[in-house]
Parts: sequence; C-alpha cells; structure tokens
Amino acid sequence: MSRSRSIAVLVLAFAAATLLFWLVLHEMSGLWLDVALRPEVRQALERSLEDQKRLRALDPAHRDDYRRHFDATSKLLHRLDVIRMNREQMLRRFELTLVTIFAIVAAIAAMSVWMRYRRAQSLERRQYLDRVAVLQETARRHAHEMKGPLTAAGLELERAGDIVRRGASEAEIAAALDSVGDELEQLSRFTRQNASFAAIGSPVLREVSLGEMIEEFCATFANAWPSVALRFSGGDAVVCADRDMLRQVLVNLCTNSHRAIEGSGEVTFAIARRGTRVALDVSDTGGGIAESLRARVFDPYVTTRKMGEGMGLGLSISRKIMLDHGGDLQLLGTSPDGTTFRLTFGENECS
Amino acid sequence: MGVLIRVVAIALLMLPAFAGAQPRPSFIAQPGRVVAAALPSSLLAERDVHRQLGSGLTTTFILVARQRDTDRRGAARIEIRFDLWDEVWLVRKIEFDGKEERQRIASRELLDTWWRAPVRLFAAAADRVALSVTLTVLPFSVAEGEDARQWMSKSGGVAVPDGGSPLIAALIGTALSAKPIRSYRWSADVAFR
Repeated sequence: MSRSRSIAVLVLAFAAATLLFWLVLHEMSGLWLDVALRPEVRQALERSLEDQKRLRALDPAHRDDYRRHFDATSKLLHRLDVIRMNREQMLRRFELTLVTIFAIVAAIAAMSVWMRYRRAQSLERRQYLDRVAVLQETARRHAHEMKGPLTAAGLELERAGDIVRRGASEAEIAAALDSVGDELEQLSRFTRQNASFAAIGSPVLREVSLGEMIEEFCATFANAWPSVALRFSGGDAVVCADRDMLRQVLVNLCTNSHRAIEGSGEVTFAIARRGTRVALDVSDTGGGIAESLRARVFDPYVTTRKMGEGMGLGLSISRKIMLDHGGDLQLLGTSPDGTTFRLTFGENECS
Repeated sequence: MGVLIRVVAIALLMLPAFAGAQPRPSFIAQPGRVVAAALPSSLLAERDVHRQLGSGLTTTFILVARQRDTDRRGAARIEIRFDLWDEVWLVRKIEFDGKEERQRIASRELLDTWWRAPVRLFAAAADRVALSVTLTVLPFSVAEGEDARQWMSKSGGVAVPDGGSPLIAALIGTALSAKPIRSYRWSADVAFR
C-alpha cells in the first residue's frame, strides 16, 4: 500500500473518531450541561416557583393547577441542580470517552494499515515467485524442445558421415539427410509456434454468419481428425469476427479434443444467446481436464503432452484471440465424460 | 531551622482550637446497650449544608458507627427535604434497628429541635465500647439522582420512545452520583452501667 493511501486511511479514521465523539457529546448534553450552570436559568425557575405560590394566594380556586406547574418547575430545577453538582465528573467522563474512542480508532487504523502492508508484501513475493516459476518452466520446456531435435540431428549427421565414408548408395545418403531434415523441421515448427504466439495479430472484424461458418468448418475439417465426428446443433447468429482467427480458435479446440478422446468421439458446436451477447459452446466427449490444470488451463506452456508433442500454447493463443474480439474463451465445464469451452463474442461494431 | 520549629509549635498549639471548631455530637448510652448520637444544630448551620437544605432536594445524613478492633457496626440515616410549595420540612429518620420515623416540621426552629434528638445507631455487646463514627452528608437522594439520569439520557427531557441511547444512558449512569458535600469522623468511648 502506498504511503499516501495509508495517510488517507489514518486521516479518515481520525475524522470518523472526531465525528463519533461529536455525536456522543451532542446527543448527550451539549447545550443542556451548560444550561444547568447558567445562574439566570436557575433564577428564572425560582421566580417561576414564587409566581406559582403568589398565584395560589391570589386565586385559590385554581390551586391544584398552580401546584402542578410548581411541581413540574421544581422537578426541573432539582434535575438541573443534580447535573450541576456532577458537571466536573461528567466532563471528565466525556474526556475519557474521547481518549478511549480515539485510542481504539487509532489502534484499529494502525492495525489495518500494518495488515494491508503485510498482505501487499506477501502478495508481491507470491507474484514474483509465480513469475519466476513460469519462466523456469518455459526455459525448461524450450530447452527440452530444442535439445531433442538437435541431439537427433547430430546423431543423424554422424550416421550420414559414416555412410558417406563407407561409400554407401545415394538412396541411403538421401534417407539419412532426410532424417536430419525432419529434425530440423521440428525445430523450425517449434520456432514458428513461438513466433505465432508472440505475433498474434489484431483481428479485422467483419460480419460473420456464425451458423454458416460452423457448417463450412464441419464440412472442411470433417476428415482432419479421423476419430472425431464434428456436429453442429443448428441455429445462427451474426457476429463481428475475424473469420481466419476464429477458425484458428476452433482448430485449436478441436485439436485438443482429438487428443482428449480415446477411441472415437465427437465435438459438438452449439450457438446460444446470452443476453445481448452471442456464445458458441464447443463440447467434446473426451476424458476431461485434470483438476490440477483447470485453473491454469489458459496459461502458456501448460499442457499434459509429453515434451516434443506440443507447447501448450493453443488455448493461450485462442483466449488471446477471443479477448481481442472483445469477447472471451472460458472453460464452461469438464468431467470424465467431456469438456465444454464457451466462446463469447463482443458487441463491437464491425469495421 | 528556628523558623520552622516556631511554625510547627504554633500549629500544634492551634490544633485544639481547630478541633474544637468541628461540630461534635454527644454520644449517649441508652438502655439495652444502645449507643445514640445527639447531633448539634451547628452541623445544620454549616455553610454547604445550610445551602443544600434550602434547595428542595433531599439532603441525606448517613451515620455509621464501627466498634474499634472488631467488625461490629451500626448505622442510621436521616433525610431532610424542604417542601418548596408548603414551605415545610419533610424529615425521615431510620435507626440502626430499622425503626423509621417521618414528620412534617413547620419551622426551622422546630427542625433544629427535632435534629438534636438522639439517633440510635449502635447496639453494643459489652459494657464499654470504643467507637469510630462517621457522618456523610449527601446532597440528593438515590431516587433524585436516578430521576436526573433518566431525564438527561432522554435528550434533555424530551422523551423518546426507546428511552434514549444505551451508550448515553451508561455514560450518565456512571457519571451521575451523589458525592458527599461534607463528611465528619469522630471517636467515642461509651460505657454502660
């Protein structure tokens, strides 16, 4: 917490304590305590008593009325006398109350500031450790992704050298060099994936008929994942989206679904309206996402795949794309029977 | 040093004179080994007491007698209120055994006479007792204090349905009390025959 905010909290606490005490003092006595001490008030009340007694003598028929007024006045006089006799004690009590309230409020404010400071410190430490942990994991994954193909390419080159020295046929040499090429291609793919993550472009939003696009996607990619049947539950809505980027999101989701489905299964697309927004639910019949991964499923480099089989960037890229659309990508639910992701579209105006 | 000695000597010489200035009751041995105190009229004439008697509030005199070296004690209570309407003195006396007396007294002279009558305050267990007697003069009664407290806690006499704030009531309740306006202490040796 910044120092200025701490000071503001203390000033507010002090002001609250002052206001509280003022209310107490105002409600309790304020004017009345001093009224009790004014001699002219007492004299006026005493004169009133004398008047009632004189009236009693002048008008005996209304004696009871004068008695009632007299009693009420004398009662007031007595109450003021009692208060006057306790004035110093009462004022001391008020002062003590003031000090106590101030002390309590100041202690609470100080404790609150201290706790906020400690919490901020702790949060900062935790965030730093989280950042370092992410960087460590990234470095580890990068090292592993590069080490595998490099080692394999090195071994293939040694083998190609042996073959050349042995005077092998051109076909054998070409096969060895192809192997080296494959490993280098894997390195190239790894670089491209990182580059695409680093350079996700801004979407060019145009009106897209979502129903039409999904139908087309299902037809185009019907054989892309042989064990996965793509189904569209129908419906339509016009959204503002970058068609190519949206397709990339759907491909990423389907790729993940394909990996999650053991044997054969299906991916279903369903268009829904959520208030003024359009949503597209993508559900699969795969084995679900482990509970330990759910909270971090959109973080980069979070994956269940083995090293060399994927970087764990697909969902991260997909969510970034949907956020750039003014919408979002959320994990709606996951269980051993399947997983559903929801794409929501923003209410942006199309360019 | 010489000056200091002279000052102390003069103070010692004047001590009996100061002691004599304080009103002192007579302690009387009554049948049944009862000790009574006859209070002097000069006590009512003390400036603070005299002023308080005319206020219309109940001036309360509490007499407590303790037997020295034992925990035996006895007490009596006298209440005097000047009725401002009828201009009479309403008095009440409660002695050590709970015997109560109430009177309407028409004049100050008669009040003095009533005041001087012995007040029974202690029952002795032996033929001779050494007592330490205290008299405390309170300016108003518990009921009058409570009435003022309730009135004060209702925002200066304006009655509110819920009886006022509990915080305010608590503050006033602990701040309003009848502090003694005078107090006296006497020693007495009383012998019974």
